[in-house]
Amino acid sequence: MAGKGTRARNRAFGLKMVLWSLFRRRSRLLVALTGVTIGATVLLGLITLCYDIPKQLGREFRSYGANMVLVKDQVGGRLSAGDLAAARAALPAAQLVGLTPFRYEAVRSHMLPYTAVGTGFEDVRRTSPFWRVEGLWPGAPGEALVGVDVSTATGLGPGSLLTLEGRDSRQVRYEKNFTVSGVVSTGSVEDGFIYVSLADMEAMTGESGLVDLAEVSLTTSGGQSLEEMAGAVQTAAPGVEARLVVRVTRSEETVMGKLTWLVYLVTLVVLTLTMICVSTTMMTVVIERRKEIGLKKALGAESRSVAREFLGEGLLLGVLGGLLGSAAGVGFARIVSHSVFGRGLSPEGHLVPVTVAVSAAVTVLASLWPVRRAVDVEPAAVLRGE
Amino acid sequence: MRGVRVFFKMLIRALARQKRKHLMIAFTVGLGVSLATAMLGVMFDVGDKVNQELKSYGANLSVVPKGASMLGDLYQSREIDSGADGKANGQVDGRADGRASGRADGKANGRASGRADGKANGRVSGRADDGTISLDDNDYLPEDQLYKIKMIFWAYNIVDFAPYLTVEVQAGDQTVPLTGTWFNRTINLPTGESVTTGMMALKSWWTLNGAPGDDGAPLKALVGSELAKRQNLAPGSRLSVKGPNGLSRELTVAGVFHSGGEEDNGIVSTLALAQELADRPGLVQRVEVSALTTPENELARRAALNPGSLSRVEWDTWYCTAYISSIAYQIEEILPMVRVKPILRVAQSEGAILEKTQLMIVILTILTLLCSALAISNLVTANVMERSVEIGLMKALGASGLAITALVLAEILVASCFGGLAGYLVGLGLAQLIGLTVFGSWVAVKLAVIPIGALMVLAVSLAGSLPALRALLRLKPTEVLHGR
Repeated sequence: MAGKGTRARNRAFGLKMVLWSLFRRRSRLLVALTGVTIGATVLLGLITLCYDIPKQLGREFRSYGANMVLVKDQVGGRLSAGDLAAARAALPAAQLVGLTPFRYEAVRSHMLPYTAVGTGFEDVRRTSPFWRVEGLWPGAPGEALVGVDVSTATGLGPGSLLTLEGRDSRQVRYEKNFTVSGVVSTGSVEDGFIYVSLADMEAMTGESGLVDLAEVSLTTSGGQSLEEMAGAVQTAAPGVEARLVVRVTRSEETVMGKLTWLVYLVTLVVLTLTMICVSTTMMTVVIERRKEIGLKKALGAESRSVAREFLGEGLLLGVLGGLLGSAAGVGFARIVSHSVFGRGLSPEGHLVPVTVAVSAAVTVLASLWPVRRAVDVEPAAVLRGE
Repeated sequence: MRGVRVFFKMLIRALARQKRKHLMIAFTVGLGVSLATAMLGVMFDVGDKVNQELKSYGANLSVVPKGASMLGDLYQSREIDSGADGKANGQVDGRADGRASGRADGKANGRASGRADGKANGRVSGRADDGTISLDDNDYLPEDQLYKIKMIFWAYNIVDFAPYLTVEVQAGDQTVPLTGTWFNRTINLPTGESVTTGMMALKSWWTLNGAPGDDGAPLKALVGSELAKRQNLAPGSRLSVKGPNGLSRELTVAGVFHSGGEEDNGIVSTLALAQELADRPGLVQRVEVSALTTPENELARRAALNPGSLSRVEWDTWYCTAYISSIAYQIEEILPMVRVKPILRVAQSEGAILEKTQLMIVILTILTLLCSALAISNLVTANVMERSVEIGLMKALGASGLAITALVLAEILVASCFGGLAGYLVGLGLAQLIGLTVFGSWVAVKLAVIPIGALMVLAVSLAGSLPALRALLRLKPTEVLHGR
């Protein structure tokens, strides 16, 4: 009973000592706290970014266009609306950037043959953000987009009238008028096509629900791999073949891999140096208190209790700094994410305890060495000023 | 005079006596500077490095004959009229073929490889007679002028280029496209330099089984994986091809490649062979160019629409910056018979990704510098603060505020300079470490890093000590010496 009481009193005394020493040395405390807070800010900020940047960059890489193409597996076959719906359902919504159907038809205009492509313009803008349109994207029915080569060859431009004619599958002639809303240029095949909406194309040919192929743009960071998704599509929609666009996927793997590595390595270097910085600050703050340690020992304090007091102080500082730094770190990551990618980021809540733990550990470890040295030294030597 | 001597004596004494304290300052400053040097080094070079990496997406410029699109339409009309094949698939593909630049495109590829068999048949009839009637020499580019691409203002930024000439040949019982190109050709420029260029470097995503193509061996060819599967070809097999002019050649398969695109249904051979089979000696249909470019800005976009709309100064800026549009313009300048089109899928994305990466590293660098500056000034404050007794004593002995400030600052600066120098060297090492691990090449450290680093040491250690110094000067000697 008596032992318990003494221990309780000792503990209360210890706590008082820690608080007192923190309070008495306000400015010193401020210095140490600032150091730890900066360290924790960098720690949380950078680790959050490490999670976030590969994801964000993955989105940027989608500007290279589709990385998967869906076609019917038998030669000359067409995809049905059901195939597309099944494929869309099989793909994880969080990773799907866009799915664009394309239907190609041979048409004529003023006796010259062209290829008309029926598609969804909203989807095209998602899967192929690199299309450059002069004029406007078609919005209303009866509007068309012409490739820049068609435009130079025929003089068609925004506002021109365009008549497309042809024969449907039953060899019945059709004819339909369109208004050109814009001219598209991409530097490749698209420059030579005429684009209309899929609905217009179906109304024109009287044949609906069928497309030649669909382009799919998928992000891969933090989810299923492209191969897994291709497999999922093929099981969910029998008869559909999901091909990967090797050119896009392979290059993306290489470049994304390197960029991710860059972020990781920079983070590692910055973190190591910051942690060393925090340690030196802590060491300076503790070293200058050697006299105090000597005095305590001279007054009969045990080495262990002195050490415990200092380490307790370090722990408190570490936790406090870690908490303050976590808050600042979220801001740090927000600033980077917002100014670079123009998007906010979801803070990873579970990183806060990690940050606090790491800051506490670094602070305690950094005080350990100077405290041990001070404790080992003869009080007389320290007090004499050596 | 004497004052100065005393000052130096005190400074040296202080530095020698309080070694550990000053070592700590030097160490922290060193850490900060090494961080700054490493980050700045990476920051200045990351654009170039990432730009190089992005070249793996292939060419970003397509060079075609000036009249190609007009004549392509004409040619197509004759094909349809004579071939009378109204089938949509056949036509889409005929079009992609006529407009050579479309070939390498992912979209055409994806669908084309799915249906190649069906289409190949539809194509034969239209093909046999159009090759000779509708295409005249205006639809081609002279091979011997292509070296000029390497002589434009931004020649150094042209990483690679390769010409192509495609001709439909009979291989076994099928008609397949045979594309002639430079695999890896070394050309001597009139300037005395020589450059090595060709298709192999442009198609980094191709996987090749067997030997790469050889420009010196015209009877060896690469065969696409789909074609190889259909005709049972493997490296070493023999393959007989017959051109539209009736000329027959016996080829050896050097390797089988897989591109994931339409090329997989065809043959890739030397340019000489394709020219011989097509009866187009010394001519090519199109050239793909891969160039290192600067992300486009407002000026570049305006210039791309109409270079004539720029003012003199703007025009100079535009011309002397490696925008994709100015490189395209310069190629058109030096080769008057061509039209150069940026392949936007590659060019546009490249710009976006480059911009983002650079911005990301710049902001990371700034924030890191800010943090390390704070950390350094924090340590300096700690250091100055603990010297209250010493400073109180000096004041009691009659030292002026100026003398004390000068002494403390001098001490800190000397320590910082040593630390900064060491930190600079370590930082250089770290930058190289990052460069080598991530990109496998050295980081070219720009000279600008040195003044920025030096300035940072100076500013940070001075600014860091100011608040503490002000507090010191306000100290009352009696209070401090009394032990409060």
